[in-house]
Amino acid sequence: MTTTQNTARVGLFFLLGIALIWVSYETLSDGKALKSRGYNLVAGFDNLKELKQGDDVRLAGVKIGSVQATRLAGRRAEAVLRIDPAVKIAGDAQATIGSAGLLGTNYVAINLGSASVPPLAPGAEIRTIASVDLNTIMIQLGELGGKLEGALGSMSEVLKGKDGQPSLFQRLDTLLTENSQKVNTTMINLQEITDKVNRGEGTLGKFINDPRLHDELLATVGDLRKAASDAKSVVSNAQTLIEQVKSGKGTLGALIYDEKTGNDIRTATSNLKEVSDKLAKGEGTLGKLINDDSLFREAQSTLRKADRALDGMGDSGPITAVGAVAGALF
Amino acid sequence: MKQLIAILEGIGNAVKLLVRAACFAPTLPRQLPRFMEQCYLIGYTTLPIVAILSFFIGGVLALQAGYSMESFGAKEFIGSLVGLSMARELGPLMVAILLAGRVGSAITAELASMKVYQEVDALVTMNIAPERILVLPRLAAVLVMMPVLAIIANLVGWFGGAIVAHSVDFIALEPEKYFETLRRYTKFEDVANGLIKAETFGFVVVLVCCSIGLRTRGGPREIGASVTKAVVVSLILILVLDYFLTKALL
Repeated sequence: MTTTQNTARVGLFFLLGIALIWVSYETLSDGKALKSRGYNLVAGFDNLKELKQGDDVRLAGVKIGSVQATRLAGRRAEAVLRIDPAVKIAGDAQATIGSAGLLGTNYVAINLGSASVPPLAPGAEIRTIASVDLNTIMIQLGELGGKLEGALGSMSEVLKGKDGQPSLFQRLDTLLTENSQKVNTTMINLQEITDKVNRGEGTLGKFINDPRLHDELLATVGDLRKAASDAKSVVSNAQTLIEQVKSGKGTLGALIYDEKTGNDIRTATSNLKEVSDKLAKGEGTLGKLINDDSLFREAQSTLRKADRALDGMGDSGPITAVGAVAGALF
Repeated sequence: MKQLIAILEGIGNAVKLLVRAACFAPTLPRQLPRFMEQCYLIGYTTLPIVAILSFFIGGVLALQAGYSMESFGAKEFIGSLVGLSMARELGPLMVAILLAGRVGSAITAELASMKVYQEVDALVTMNIAPERILVLPRLAAVLVMMPVLAIIANLVGWFGGAIVAHSVDFIALEPEKYFETLRRYTKFEDVANGLIKAETFGFVVVLVCCSIGLRTRGGPREIGASVTKAVVVSLILILVLDYFLTKALL
């Protein structure tokens, strides 16, 4: 084997090693350390819990990036999220810190938000929700357990009795012993009532046992159904009527919806008002007739004269009647 | 006390050797054939045994993890366990132990023979520093070859674990799931961590073996003793360094 061959093998071996290191790097880190593609978002929390650099960022459960850094900013903790550039996150989307199982690592979970809201710009701050961690749940469970224990203790006291007081069962026993006669009577009465009902006696018995009542009930239901059908027809007619009125058909429709009719009515009303004004002022024949009483007096005088003339005609003969009438009138 | 002085003397000699070899670093390009020969011996010829060992270590890890985790329903985490164990610890450690056993012993035997049969003295007489042509190419070669061996050990171990996890009946873990958890929990930082360890172990093994080989005095029996000593010291140093490096790199 020549030295040249050995050298070639070493070269190949070395290149293979370099290639494998590169493949491992690309596979395990997705080549992100060099490329660092995407944009940043800031998520502020009261407590980042176990969240650390490199943890996943998931949008609706799908990995879309990773936590680039965690830092303290004043009175809160911030996580800088590196998001895939192809993914847009809605402005109203909310981030929370999730945990992948009891042993798993934490991750930032983002919900989809609304499609209509414009997406967050690079460097923007995403809204966050404080998530409940296991410790808080355990504390709450402990408190609940304490309350449950207290409630059970109270129940136990009631059941067993406290400070010489008789227990619940003792009281029940006393109550039943003292009222056993009454309870028996009540039970007998109840037995009698149910027997009567079974035999079909009384209103309730008939109601339950008589088939005629059932038939009548069915007939009533039929009547009700018919009435409902009639009512439906009436409503339908009324609807048709309303539609016709709305479409301006008929007198009522024209009155309500036809503009020309409205104008005519308005003009008529205006004219009527004008006439009534004139009447009130005593203008025109009718106005004078109503307001001026001289015409009435003249008519009265004329009638009186005619009356006299007729009287005169009665006294004289027909020959002089014309002259008398003329004399009386003129 | 005498043993303590011997230990300190050994450390001092190794440091002295390293400094002298480092001083000749500019002459490395002129020693390319020697460098390539050492690369071939340290890297290429060690590859088969590294691959076989890593494959079975990965497989055994998967088997043991599957046996333990199956009882509490966490067998999908076998991938992460094998991935992290091989990348951070077992890959570099196994390569270093193999290097000490296969290459380190050969280096010590060769240099000790040269020293015992006065070839090293002849070089010194000809004003050729033994650190330049005997130590520097080996140190440079191990620095280049160790990361390559370590990454191959990692990958072969991962695949060994995947094959075992898939083929053993009571585990029967799909390779997709195995590699999904492996990718989720093993980062390139873990692999890089292992490569740094492998580099350090390899460098220390070759330095110690060269130092012990060049300090051999006597005859053929001392050559054998030097080889044994070099391998034992190398193994101890690998494990001690492993602890401190792991702590430093965490």
